[in-house]
Amino acid sequence: MNGTLLLQSVIVGITNGFVYALVGLGIAVVFRGTRIINAMQGEFSLVGGLVAFVVVESLGWPLAVATVAGVLAGGVLGFAMEWLLVRPTRRRGAGEESYLLLTLGVAFAISAAVLYFIGRDTRSLPGIGGEGSAVLFDAAVRYHAMWLVILSSAVMLLLRLFYDRTRIGLSMMAASIDEDGAATIGIDVPLMRSLSFLLGGLVGGLAGVLVSPLITIHYEMGLLLTLKGFAAAILGGLLNPFGAVIGGLTLGLIESLAVLTVSSGYKDVIAMTLLIVIMIFLPNGMLGRGSRKGG
Amino acid sequence: MLVFTALYSIAGLGVAFLLGQCGIVSLAQSVFFGIGAYSSAYCTTHWGWIAPTGFVVGIVASAVIAFAVGWPILRLSGYFLALATLALAMIGQVLFLEWDWLTGGTLGIGGIPKLSLFGFELRTPQRFYYFVWPVAALVLWLYANLLGARNGFAMRAMRDAPAAAAVLGVDTHVLKVKMFVASAMLGSLGGSLFAHYVSFVSVDSFTVDRAIHFLLIAVLGGAKTIVGTVLGSAFVTVMPHWLTGFGDFHPLLFAACLIAAVMFLPDGFGGALQRALRRQGQA
Amino acid sequence: MAALLEVRDVARSFRGLHVLREVSFEVPEGGIVGLIGPNGAGKSTLFNIVSGFLSADRGRVIYAGTDISDRSVPQRSYAGLVRTFQTPQVFPHLTVIENLMAGCYKHTTTGVVANLFGSRASRAEVRRMRAEADAACDKFGLTTIRDRPAGKLPGGQQRLVELARAVVGKPRLLCLDEPSSGLNTGEVAGLMAALERLAAEGITILLVSHDMDLVKVASVIHVLCFGEIIARGPLGEIRHDPRVREAYLGA
Repeated sequence: MNGTLLLQSVIVGITNGFVYALVGLGIAVVFRGTRIINAMQGEFSLVGGLVAFVVVESLGWPLAVATVAGVLAGGVLGFAMEWLLVRPTRRRGAGEESYLLLTLGVAFAISAAVLYFIGRDTRSLPGIGGEGSAVLFDAAVRYHAMWLVILSSAVMLLLRLFYDRTRIGLSMMAASIDEDGAATIGIDVPLMRSLSFLLGGLVGGLAGVLVSPLITIHYEMGLLLTLKGFAAAILGGLLNPFGAVIGGLTLGLIESLAVLTVSSGYKDVIAMTLLIVIMIFLPNGMLGRGSRKGG
Repeated sequence: MLVFTALYSIAGLGVAFLLGQCGIVSLAQSVFFGIGAYSSAYCTTHWGWIAPTGFVVGIVASAVIAFAVGWPILRLSGYFLALATLALAMIGQVLFLEWDWLTGGTLGIGGIPKLSLFGFELRTPQRFYYFVWPVAALVLWLYANLLGARNGFAMRAMRDAPAAAAVLGVDTHVLKVKMFVASAMLGSLGGSLFAHYVSFVSVDSFTVDRAIHFLLIAVLGGAKTIVGTVLGSAFVTVMPHWLTGFGDFHPLLFAACLIAAVMFLPDGFGGALQRALRRQGQA
Repeated sequence: MAALLEVRDVARSFRGLHVLREVSFEVPEGGIVGLIGPNGAGKSTLFNIVSGFLSADRGRVIYAGTDISDRSVPQRSYAGLVRTFQTPQVFPHLTVIENLMAGCYKHTTTGVVANLFGSRASRAEVRRMRAEADAACDKFGLTTIRDRPAGKLPGGQQRLVELARAVVGKPRLLCLDEPSSGLNTGEVAGLMAALERLAAEGITILLVSHDMDLVKVASVIHVLCFGEIIARGPLGEIRHDPRVREAYLGA
């Protein structure tokens, strides 16, 4: 195996890793705020990416505007989702599997709607910073990949500050940890849940915009993205959203290094197997401790 | 079309059973449906064996795989378990495509012979219809038997309160694995029948979407009742037939049904029907 | 009198907090033993260790002369060690009689395959289960509600269903976790009578409670406080123990 090839796949792994981390971060944000595993996180990205695409291609507006539009689209979708679907279901006193079926149903609805209204074509956005790439020890690094790493890291830092420093971030955490207690001290718990979905949607939309120059936007992309993001999220520890970065990078690297040794067709098989193995052996993430035994 | 209703009922029943009686959300049924279908296709077209061998190979293979995979993943519960089965469906989808020496990849396997029974070939849909419905009825009968017997009680107990069931002596993990295996065998049976009926199988039939269809049968019909499952599969199969003109529209409709069912019909059609009957009985 | 259950130096901590420190006690065969203690004393943890829902950090649980520390919950149940829960765990979607029929699991034997095909043995077994469940309904006064879904019953009746279901399983040692919580005075009296009757039938009972009225039925009481047994003896004795008074009333 030559060094350049290895380096190249490490770079691809890191790039993909940040994408998974971003999706995983969205899942963790929603889970932290609502205790719901959102199976439509990848669909936020699908919608965000598509909206950005339309803004760039059809309206001819600059990429920066498109990025903002894509991110907002994800956020609006997240908020609407919670408001219209999750809330009535919660009122009925539903269990875990209901939420999973619900978010999964929405994921399929969105995927099917995209298929119906937009079709099977794949689309891709231009990369941020153009299509060029820098050369690093013989390996090519796309400018877009660098932007992706920088923007994702920025989002993660901002989220950390948001949860640690702002009143609303703290309220969102309080609402999910102790619903009644939070309500007693005047926190609008349902609103906080909606905001968690909104935030998850924003992160998902951004992931969509950032991922689309790397992998094409396609009506079926959501579910796989969700599952990989989920793998990243639990690998890093679900309740520790910033663990998603470590989880995402681990997953991305394993995937791209595995592709070097086996056929690339098995990439997703490896990722999914890894997901199952992680859930069984590391349910609290690589950094977590204790077991889930008992009860 | 009613043939498909029966075919899907058989596989969907496996999912409904897990969901309704064991509290397991399984999205992996497409994998076992595929294993059944490919076993039948491969045994009959590649080796030229008689049809029953395909059924047996598929069911045995499904049972073995379900056991091997189910043993570790059924330690999980809730979200984790559902997502693990979804990951399995993804793996299945990729493997069906990549192992083209076995499955024919995107080209699929064609020319699967029609079934014949006592020298009577089930050539037309009508004839197949008369064969497949008794099979579905047989499966339903077995299901009803199980529910009313010792392990049926244990299962429902486990679904309602796992800790209390364990105190009664039920080894919940073993029981779940047994039921997962049984459900996989049903999936495989449905898949084999499917292969012989359509006489052509390709990866498109065994995608994650298919797994969602099976789950939809369970959720929509109401997994807790037997009637519900049949109603659910009738709906899932008949609806798109009415709507064939819409082309790519029906996946959207399916998804919408799933959402609506989760939100408004917690016990599905079967549960709603039962409630309505009870209300009438009391009036 | 040989001990049916022997808890030997059991310790358990959660995240550095010592919930149980070297607890030892015995439950002799026959009769009723009480385990009391203020909130947070470690009763639930101890109970979970005895019934197999938690494992101890150190120490052993000996039951009927065998070390069962590593046995699973169902294995302990098959050996005759059965528990109830602080919040009653009935099977809500099953009717009362179905709950009791599920309780017959241990002494019935048919397998999944026989059940699927509705074999003669399987059908005969269901009839036997129903008869046993019916008898238990009579015994515990549940006949009038036998066809109601257990989840729809008021708390007191759910407790009774849970108790009856445990008894249907023919336990040797019955561990009851706060069986009187949520019961009114009349119901507590009924429960006490039922427990004495069960003890007379030869079932050993370990009773966890902080209800001083209920533990009157126990011949020996162990008092657990901050993870240690601080007193043991008949109710009359421990009542006057200064350490117990301190634990309950505060210094």
